[in-house]
Amino acid sequence: MANLLVDIRDQQFNLYEMLDLEGLTKYPKFGDYSKDMFDMVLSEAEKMAVNVIFPSNAEGDKEGCSYANGKVTVPKSFEDVYKKFIEGGWITISDDAEVGGQGFPEVINAATKELFGAANFAFIMYPGLAHGAAKLVEIYGTDEQKRTYMDKMYSGQWGGTMCLTEPGAGSDVGALKTSAKPTGDGKYKITGTKIFISAGDHELTENIIHPVLARIEGAPAGTKGISIFLVPKYRVNSDGSVGDFNDVNTGNVEHKMGIKGNATCTLNFGDKDDCIGELLGDEGTGMRVMFNMMNEARLGVGLQGLAHSTAAYLHAVDYAKTRLQGSDLANFRNPEAPRVSIINHPDIRRMLLWMKSQVEGLRALMYFVAYAIDMSHSVEDQVEKDRWHGYVELLTPICKAWGSDMGFRVTEYAIQVYGGYGFTSEYPVEQFMRDCKIASIYEGTNGIQAMDLVARKLGQNKGMNFINFITLMTETVSKNQPDGALKDAVAEFEKAKNAMADIGGFFAQCGASGKFLVPIGNAYQFLELMSTVTLGFFLLWQGAIAEKKLVAIKKEKGVKDDDWVAVAALYKDSKDAAYYQGKVAAAKFYGAYILPHVEAMAASIKKEDMSIMEIAESAFASS
Amino acid sequence: MNSAVILKQVPDTEALIKVKPDGTGIVKEGVKFVINPYDEFGVEEALKKKEAAGSGEVTIVSIGPDRSVESIRTALAMGADKGVLLKIGEDEYSDALATAKALAEELKGKDYKIIFCGKQAIDDDMAQIGPMVAELMGLPCVTVVTKVDVSGDKAVCSREIEGGKEIVEVALPAVISCQKGLNEPRYASLPGIMKAKKKPLDIKDTKLDAPKATIDKWENPPQRAAGRIIEGDDAAAKAAALVKALRQEAKVI
Ligand SMILES: Cc1cc2nc3c(=O)[nH]c(=O)nc-3n(C[C@H](O)[C@H](O)[C@H](O)COP(=O)(O)OP(=O)(O)OC[C@H]3O[C@@H](n4cnc5c(N)ncnc54)[C@H](O)[C@@H]3O)c2cc1C
Repeated sequence: MANLLVDIRDQQFNLYEMLDLEGLTKYPKFGDYSKDMFDMVLSEAEKMAVNVIFPSNAEGDKEGCSYANGKVTVPKSFEDVYKKFIEGGWITISDDAEVGGQGFPEVINAATKELFGAANFAFIMYPGLAHGAAKLVEIYGTDEQKRTYMDKMYSGQWGGTMCLTEPGAGSDVGALKTSAKPTGDGKYKITGTKIFISAGDHELTENIIHPVLARIEGAPAGTKGISIFLVPKYRVNSDGSVGDFNDVNTGNVEHKMGIKGNATCTLNFGDKDDCIGELLGDEGTGMRVMFNMMNEARLGVGLQGLAHSTAAYLHAVDYAKTRLQGSDLANFRNPEAPRVSIINHPDIRRMLLWMKSQVEGLRALMYFVAYAIDMSHSVEDQVEKDRWHGYVELLTPICKAWGSDMGFRVTEYAIQVYGGYGFTSEYPVEQFMRDCKIASIYEGTNGIQAMDLVARKLGQNKGMNFINFITLMTETVSKNQPDGALKDAVAEFEKAKNAMADIGGFFAQCGASGKFLVPIGNAYQFLELMSTVTLGFFLLWQGAIAEKKLVAIKKEKGVKDDDWVAVAALYKDSKDAAYYQGKVAAAKFYGAYILPHVEAMAASIKKEDMSIMEIAESAFASS
Repeated sequence: MNSAVILKQVPDTEALIKVKPDGTGIVKEGVKFVINPYDEFGVEEALKKKEAAGSGEVTIVSIGPDRSVESIRTALAMGADKGVLLKIGEDEYSDALATAKALAEELKGKDYKIIFCGKQAIDDDMAQIGPMVAELMGLPCVTVVTKVDVSGDKAVCSREIEGGKEIVEVALPAVISCQKGLNEPRYASLPGIMKAKKKPLDIKDTKLDAPKATIDKWENPPQRAAGRIIEGDDAAAKAAALVKALRQEAKVI
């Protein structure tokens, strides 16, 4: 089957031409690894994604999840896919060998997650959540908890979830009501209702371990009073086998717009006052513990946006090459002129190039952040470590929010490229769009991400993370010296970057002078601005590398730029030449059409316009 | 049970193949290479037989340029125990007989109970290596096999024939060439990939005999002419026009 999920050539470019993946093997942590192993993993992941997982995507969407008599049924095809996925050992690709993992770099993990997510995100959430939950046990659990729970979760034998949300506690997790009562033997009785719990119930695994946020009786209100508990669906016998039902009752599964193959459940804990949980970590540290999982999950949700958008983009390109409609622009007066494929039409090319630049910009961002995690674990020098870790902190809300928002828009464009056919369920693109929408909502809505960026991340580490990132951009662009076709894009980038830095300073001033509503009211605008600059940076970095390689190929083959016949033949015959030309085009396009918006965005923010607060609630609508 | 698998690295079935302008071969730039799919059935069957027997080793033997190492490693990651690459240059070509001779030379004198190979390689579609290796080694050969049952020193194989299947009993050791339907090859697992790195892979510089058959030129099949839609006011008129076209233009009726 052809791979219309992820452009493998672009993956390789990110890993080996932009980032120095091979360079990671110089560090002791990755000393046992090599390029041929990375390539083999990616190649197997591609086969798994295309041949095993993707066939379950449309089927899982049509079948969905159902609930009857307390039991949840997930799409039938997921069972076999889950088995193969577990056999492959994919859950623990980048976890340490001591916990049974394979120890690969995070950036390899990200690349495989992109493939798997593009193939079927609803499916991949089952093992993905089990991994996130097991990671909490790895970091905070006692040895006994690790042996009881973590091992079986990492091996895929048991599932896992994250239980935060309640009817009255959505964005404001601190408002949660689920309670925990000490039973005297170090354990707790859990009572309360959690809603919207992904992978909350299913029979893909024989047991499910729920990390549950709850308040110990008498604990203070707000986030400080929250602790986290490990609550199994079935209790675990002393020999490790699955025991009695633990009074974790599924009340319902949601009927949803997308990711229909993933069971989103209402879970009632302790209906019969017989639900036992164990404290994970210390009392009152529930939010801190859960944040580990949330950071992983936020990057994962960013990758979700990338995954749906890359699949949508490659499908759209493929469709645009085959769908015949209309004649070539040059022949528009001649009704007898031969029909051409729609990829010949300027408006289709506009959409495709816009999509390409967004998808490839997002990919570069996501892989860079994963690589930064690897570097922060690899380098010895504390200052260097902090610098790499700072990029991860700063860029996490951008990965999450921009990955999901732009990812969604790319899927929407894909439907536009298909025309009426794209709107029907005969073709896969409308599902990509539906599946993608949730990404801007869960794991902290994008509005919450914007506030995290502006109120926490910009000033974090005394503002050094932000400053370091600006320095990285400046140094990288000047080191790669894009010129030729990218000259104008560089100029636009410099202006945009300066506007971004300027707003950073402006927000700090607003804060100092007590005008808090300006940064808060403009949080999303700033996220948009900074994301636009960030993607511009990555596209320019890539474009500069590609341009140099393209020039070298032309030189080697003796192709002159003004000999357009030879140039056209080169792009037709040489895959590398065509690939690099595409990279340059995406960067040039982004510089011409997207980056110039940044100065206008900055100007808007600086107006300190407060229409959004001035308008009376009663003035929004007349009825 | 020890067995060997003859494996060739070929362009991916999905790869768009372009012939070089001078007709001396195909353009390899940007082409992904994979294990010949029929050989993959061989790898899977060898692993299954080893697992069923509870002991033994599976050896992968390949002839090809350096890059073939990737495919051998993939087979090792699937579970094979060791690999041998008879290394030749990227564009070094010889014919099937010379290739089979080099393989037979490598395979002889070891105690392989079965030598598996694909029924053909999907790049040049010669389908000669298996039978030639068997002949050169003085072993029986069963081709196009979709089922293998081993018991003691013999194997019962099903092979595809026109309109049915043939059941063949063969004395071991033997060469068995594999057909689609024999099994569903497993994917290499991550732990498998980790282990593969430490498994022995012997690379031997190899010189093939001069070919007796040479390739003069490569060219694309002629482009298919565009189809034609028969016009007409109604079905009867269209049918009449079709008959006329078939009789007078295509001259097939
Ligand atoms: C399919 C699906 C799967 C999910 N999976 C899980 C899961 O596995 N585990 C889990 O715990 N939860 C899960 N959730 C819940 C999800 O995380 C919440 O829906 C999300 O956090 C938003 O909460 P809410 O729906 O209550 O919306 P609300 O909090 O009511 O928000 C409504 C709107 O108000 C905005 N808003 C709220 N507060 C503020 C504020 N202070 N400042 C500015 N804007 C604000 C929000 O941005 C949003 O636009 C899932 C939800 C869905 C739909």
